[in-house]
Amino acid sequence: MNHWIAAPFLLPALTACVLVFVRTVPAQRAISLLSALTLAAIAGGLCLGHGNAPARVYAMGNWPSHLGIVFVLDGLAALMLVLTGVVAVAALLYASRGWDTRSRHFHALFHVQLMGLNGAFLTGDLFNLFVCFELMLIASYALLSHGDGSARLRAGLHYVTVNLVGSAVFLIAVSLLYRVGGTLNMADLGAALANAPEADRPWIRAGGLMLLCVFLLKGAAFPLHLWQPAAYGSASAPAAMIFSVLTKVGAYAVFRVSSVVFGATAAAPHIDAVVQPLALLTLVVAALGAFSAKTLSRLVAWLALASSASVLVGVGTFSAAGAGAAFFYALPSTLALAALFLLADAIADARGAPWGDRLQRAPRMHGATALGLWYFAAAIAVSGLPPFAAFLGKALLMQGIGPSPWGWGIILGTSLLNVVALARAGSRLFWSIADVPCPGEPAAARFERLGGLALLGAGVVALTVAAGSVQEFTREAARQVAMPSGYVASVLGNRLKGWTIRIEVPEGGADR
Amino acid sequence: MTTTASLVWVFGLPFAGSFLPLAFARRGRTLIAWASAVGPIGALMILAGAAPSVFDGQAPSYSVPWVPALGLQFALRLDGWAWLFAALILVIGLLVILYGRYYLSADDPFGRFYALLLLFMGSMLGIAVSDNLLLLIFFWELTSLSSFLLIGYWNSRADARAGARMALAITGMGGLALLGGALVLQQMTGTLEISRLNEMGPEIRAHAWYPVALVLVLLGAFTKSAQFPFHFWLPNAMAAPTPVSAYLHSATMVKAGIFLLARLYPALSGTDEWFYAVGGAGLVTLVFGAWQATFRHDLKGLLAYSTVSHLGLITLLLGLGSPLAPVAAVFHIINHATFKASLFMAAGIIDHETGTRDMRRLGGLWTFMPVTGALALVASAAMAGVPLLNGFLSKEMLFAESLALERGGFVAWLIPMAATAAGIFGVAYSSRFVHDVFFNGPPRDIDRTPHEPPRWMRIPVEVLVVLCVLVGILPQVSVGRLLDVASRAVLGAEPPAYSLAIWHGFNVPLLMSVIALAGGVALYFLLQSRALHAHVGGALTGHALFEKLIHALDRTSGAFTRATTDGTLQRQVAVTMAVVLVAGGAPMLAGLPVWTATASTPANPIAFVGWAVLVVATIAVVAAHRARLTALILTGAVGLIVSAVFAYYSAPDLALTQLVVEVAMTLLMLLSLGHLPAATPRESVTARRARDGVLAALCGLGLGAAAWWMMTRGGDSVSVEHAARSVPEGGGTNVVNVILVDFRGFDTFGEISVLVTAALGIVALLARPSDPVPVPVAEDDADREPALVMLSRIILPPALLVSVYIFLRGHNLPGGGFIAGLVSGVALALLGLGSGQGWRHRMVRIDFHKVTAAGLVIAAATGIGAWAFGQPFMTSAHGAVHLPLIGELHLATAALFDLGVYLVVVGVIMLVLDHLSAVRRREAA
Amino acid sequence: MEALVASAIGILTAAGVYLSLRGRTFPVVLGLTFVSYAVNLFIFVAGGIRLDAPPIVGLAPSMTDPLPQALVLTAIVIGFGMSAYLVVLAIRLRAADGHDHVDREPDPDEDVAAP
Repeated sequence: MNHWIAAPFLLPALTACVLVFVRTVPAQRAISLLSALTLAAIAGGLCLGHGNAPARVYAMGNWPSHLGIVFVLDGLAALMLVLTGVVAVAALLYASRGWDTRSRHFHALFHVQLMGLNGAFLTGDLFNLFVCFELMLIASYALLSHGDGSARLRAGLHYVTVNLVGSAVFLIAVSLLYRVGGTLNMADLGAALANAPEADRPWIRAGGLMLLCVFLLKGAAFPLHLWQPAAYGSASAPAAMIFSVLTKVGAYAVFRVSSVVFGATAAAPHIDAVVQPLALLTLVVAALGAFSAKTLSRLVAWLALASSASVLVGVGTFSAAGAGAAFFYALPSTLALAALFLLADAIADARGAPWGDRLQRAPRMHGATALGLWYFAAAIAVSGLPPFAAFLGKALLMQGIGPSPWGWGIILGTSLLNVVALARAGSRLFWSIADVPCPGEPAAARFERLGGLALLGAGVVALTVAAGSVQEFTREAARQVAMPSGYVASVLGNRLKGWTIRIEVPEGGADR
Repeated sequence: MTTTASLVWVFGLPFAGSFLPLAFARRGRTLIAWASAVGPIGALMILAGAAPSVFDGQAPSYSVPWVPALGLQFALRLDGWAWLFAALILVIGLLVILYGRYYLSADDPFGRFYALLLLFMGSMLGIAVSDNLLLLIFFWELTSLSSFLLIGYWNSRADARAGARMALAITGMGGLALLGGALVLQQMTGTLEISRLNEMGPEIRAHAWYPVALVLVLLGAFTKSAQFPFHFWLPNAMAAPTPVSAYLHSATMVKAGIFLLARLYPALSGTDEWFYAVGGAGLVTLVFGAWQATFRHDLKGLLAYSTVSHLGLITLLLGLGSPLAPVAAVFHIINHATFKASLFMAAGIIDHETGTRDMRRLGGLWTFMPVTGALALVASAAMAGVPLLNGFLSKEMLFAESLALERGGFVAWLIPMAATAAGIFGVAYSSRFVHDVFFNGPPRDIDRTPHEPPRWMRIPVEVLVVLCVLVGILPQVSVGRLLDVASRAVLGAEPPAYSLAIWHGFNVPLLMSVIALAGGVALYFLLQSRALHAHVGGALTGHALFEKLIHALDRTSGAFTRATTDGTLQRQVAVTMAVVLVAGGAPMLAGLPVWTATASTPANPIAFVGWAVLVVATIAVVAAHRARLTALILTGAVGLIVSAVFAYYSAPDLALTQLVVEVAMTLLMLLSLGHLPAATPRESVTARRARDGVLAALCGLGLGAAAWWMMTRGGDSVSVEHAARSVPEGGGTNVVNVILVDFRGFDTFGEISVLVTAALGIVALLARPSDPVPVPVAEDDADREPALVMLSRIILPPALLVSVYIFLRGHNLPGGGFIAGLVSGVALALLGLGSGQGWRHRMVRIDFHKVTAAGLVIAAATGIGAWAFGQPFMTSAHGAVHLPLIGELHLATAALFDLGVYLVVVGVIMLVLDHLSAVRRREAA
Repeated sequence: MEALVASAIGILTAAGVYLSLRGRTFPVVLGLTFVSYAVNLFIFVAGGIRLDAPPIVGLAPSMTDPLPQALVLTAIVIGFGMSAYLVVLAIRLRAADGHDHVDREPDPDEDVAAP
């Protein structure tokens, strides 16, 4: 029994507990960072070790999968774990620049966030997915309101309220599906729904579409994106960095659930048809938002919207090619986004009040050259221009969704808008200089900043160089999710195993 | 077909070399310049090494897969055309490096300039040698980016910033269009390999998508090569330092578009679409550019528009489609690069020496700088197409081809006419460049006495001018072979017979040249006499359009964004619910099975009474929600009824939990009311209330219907198995509890983690980081209600006893750690509220952070403990004990887990209440 | 009986939705409380409603579906944590803004004191 599969969930959990006991900040930083590094390492190990082998099941409590809760490790899940781990390390590095002292329990909350994220990627149980979402959310609530400022608090209130509505919808949908399928395990449920009587069809569709609403709310797809720009735009930098992974969970859940749970049902087409058009609309909305942004952090928030929307565009095909491209694209664009969120904060500090990261003429900031170079690189990387992997990702994405005038037109048009917006922002931040001494903090290249950026940058470069093999990996991983027979076999196989063991062994399953 | 990896270094060396100027950034300008030259020189050597095989008509190539699925190979190919283009880039690049050393002033960031220049050079060379369309686009975009940075080099100048952004926007658009075109071509042919595409010309041109692909590719080429109507970014790019203008914006980068057209000539050319699109754009650009150039007062402005015009000329040649035209195009690319680069450098020298580029202020410079004057004279003569100079030859070829066109109708005479007209303007602005600057009276308005530039600054100009003359006089000897292999590579076939002679006898092209020369000179002096200097340049149509577009985008995007995401919560919630309503409702439109079902359980009076109370209370809350205390109490009542409903429908655990949670929540809300206004003002207008009412009604209807359907549908569930295996394997008769702590204990673990996190979040919200754990002071124990104090203290012991009892029975009967925790928590809280936090703290000295975390640790540890027995997380250990006699041991781990839950709940409640009351005190203080 | 429960759920939902669309934090909190009442009942009745059939082995001849009950328990607890957080957030926002409207910017006239 391979316990490593549970580690990405348990390690942050324990770290969070320990961090509550630790009082001194340096100790907290050390533990938190160490744990995050370990987490990233474990994730990498799982990703390389498991690769795209058939999905592996970890049965919590060793119950058969339909009775208990299972974690399922497959290629895509492993990949997302790695992404989360890397971004987490970068964010924590940057947080130890001082964000983590602005209010209590930052590190503990951050690790709960990781717990929720990793759980959401791994779990094979619909209701447990809800629980993981809630973990993710409660942590993000706290991280979002972390630090003060009434704008941030209000953004927090909106975020919490809207997501509480989302959680309610999630529960309603789960109940409906449970009533039809009589089970909560996704694979099991999928099989049950496939055999459901004709009369249940409308209810299955309703449940499916409502679940889709929840996931699209998390993934901030039009028209459920309204909460996102304010929330991400006003979140503290480290929080925003990890949030750039958060919205990807929406796309991931859409892909996973609609193929495993609804893939075999008559409801599937009705659900799948909705995703891509909405995602394309979101791209347009995001581009317009980015174009009109007044601060860098808000601009990046809109780009985060665009990034998750692009992923949804690919996922919307529910094909190996489309979704594979989408998740390939997700990797560099998420790293670049995290870097940009970091830079927005660093630039705001370097420029100081009252300019902050407002896109307007200001005194020359401290360490402008270094920050400028980083900004230029990150902007290129996020807007999908060469030489970075997101360019390949974008091309793969277009190839993956097939020749569609609307799809290609919107993808190309919006990326042009984003390029213009980023260029304008850059020229206002770094080129348009007022001859006044700068009040900002004269921190040239702080180690934490550099560390975070260097890690993210290295990630992007690595993805670019190894693009070929990474692309093959994501494509195969996506294929296994899109055609989940292998996944279902492993999970339900565990169910059978459960039975046989129970039948053989007398009183009290000493085997367990 | 020789394969060689050394091709990589053709662009690899300049890229690598771009670090040198940065490394030497502090070491003096000359050293930096030399360091910068290292990369290009190395690349040039490689090129020279490859020359023999290339001139034999072979094409060394190199290919490694990059992203095979994408069709992206790292494929390089050095045929004649690529060789010519690369050589052009490197030679002129080296001259520019030398020139720039003397052009830039000491306070310009030198290292950065050369680094960017080399980055650009590398990208440009990449374009030249790519044999994969996507790889070419990869380098293509890199040139746009480096050009952006180079135009914005003097970024303190607003025009530099604007020019840079405009160039990036236009060429960026082209690049994206080109990407689209490439992918369309791939969809059509299944390959992105340029040499393969060129072999598949007929299939491509026959394909239904050919027009789409053509338009997209042309968009890319035209924007890059500043063809009308995308030309306007080029004049605005003149804000760049002159070496950059000479290099990027006349000699190389703007040729990339044309290079691509020539590169894909066999694949795309030869159709009417091609003729009209390419030829048309070229023709318009040729004439428009020449005409505009004549009226520029800025030297660089004149050269910029003349560049536009000459690019148009080349495009036109490629568009004509007559057999010899491409050869002429290739030839003119060489010629234009030489004379235009030298002219830009001359303009730079003039600017450098006189401090202005405005021809209205210059004049009579011949006396001060005769050598430069002579060079400029020759170069502009070449530009004008004067015999014995290279410009003459290629322009002759254009005239010849425009006549040789076998097409009836208006094009037959339109093109020669236009070509001649353009020739006239070309001569006019060339004459102006010389006359207005070097003659035409003494300097009109210069603040210094100009003199010849430093020796080495003139060298590049001299080299280029010599080339102009050399090619002009001995074309066949100088560039014959090169032109031959290059054209061969472009055509992908044997080029038609042609002679690079100066003299073809008296013929129509010669006549056209004469007309152009005479007419041009006449035109110029005519204009000069008509106060050319007073002429005010008309509006740059394209430029104005672009600005308008950007502003429109600004306005609309701003308006749209403000209108949609105005950040009001009420809208967000309303939209969310509406969307969910649609999602849930739409499938029902297919027709509902729901009303056919019938109730299985008959209603009875108790149920009716409960229902009535609940409905009344709910309506009362809505009606009276503005009086907050009332609303809160009524809400509590509803909560109690809900718990009663649970109890009534055989869910004792739920009933208990709902009850205690209700108490705790009400307690919290009561506390919170102290921090919030006592009443809700009447704000929302009737329309809004109506909208919300409808939305609410629909949601209620939907959920009610769904509930009805679920209850009447019935059906089986895996929980049958839970029930069956609860006692033998879960070791408990209370199935719900066994599910919570064993079957789905992992959910519970997550659930208590949520609880802990909520508590930590609340602490983070309430406690400023500086604050220690709130330790209340004694005075808030003063003037307490004695009865309340007594009550709160009396309640505690029995409450704790009860919770212990509830805890212990939990696994077999309703109860369990959670409920027990809530009971003790609430009791402790009451103790605090009744007798004052200070007293409570003195009685119970505990940091509830630790309690909470400890609870979670215990729960986790219990789960992990299973690992010791080689079991997965959360495996309850009772099965691991093989002795049936001590059967009660089989509760051990589950109970331990439940203990964790208990601690978490107690800790959470106390944490929250402690901090709330701490806040209350801080506000009081 | 089912009709009663269904209608009750409907009414609770309607009340919750209406209140959560109000403009002040307190009614929003109440509204979400009502929504969670409704949703909890909804999950619960997914297992059908039965009298005198508690899911305890050997206590009654028949047994109602225990799984939804377990789910509701989890949902209640999570809901409790969430609402608690929301309430405190509301308090904090009121203290920072000087008013308790969910959208409006801080009141300049009122003195803004962070708790």
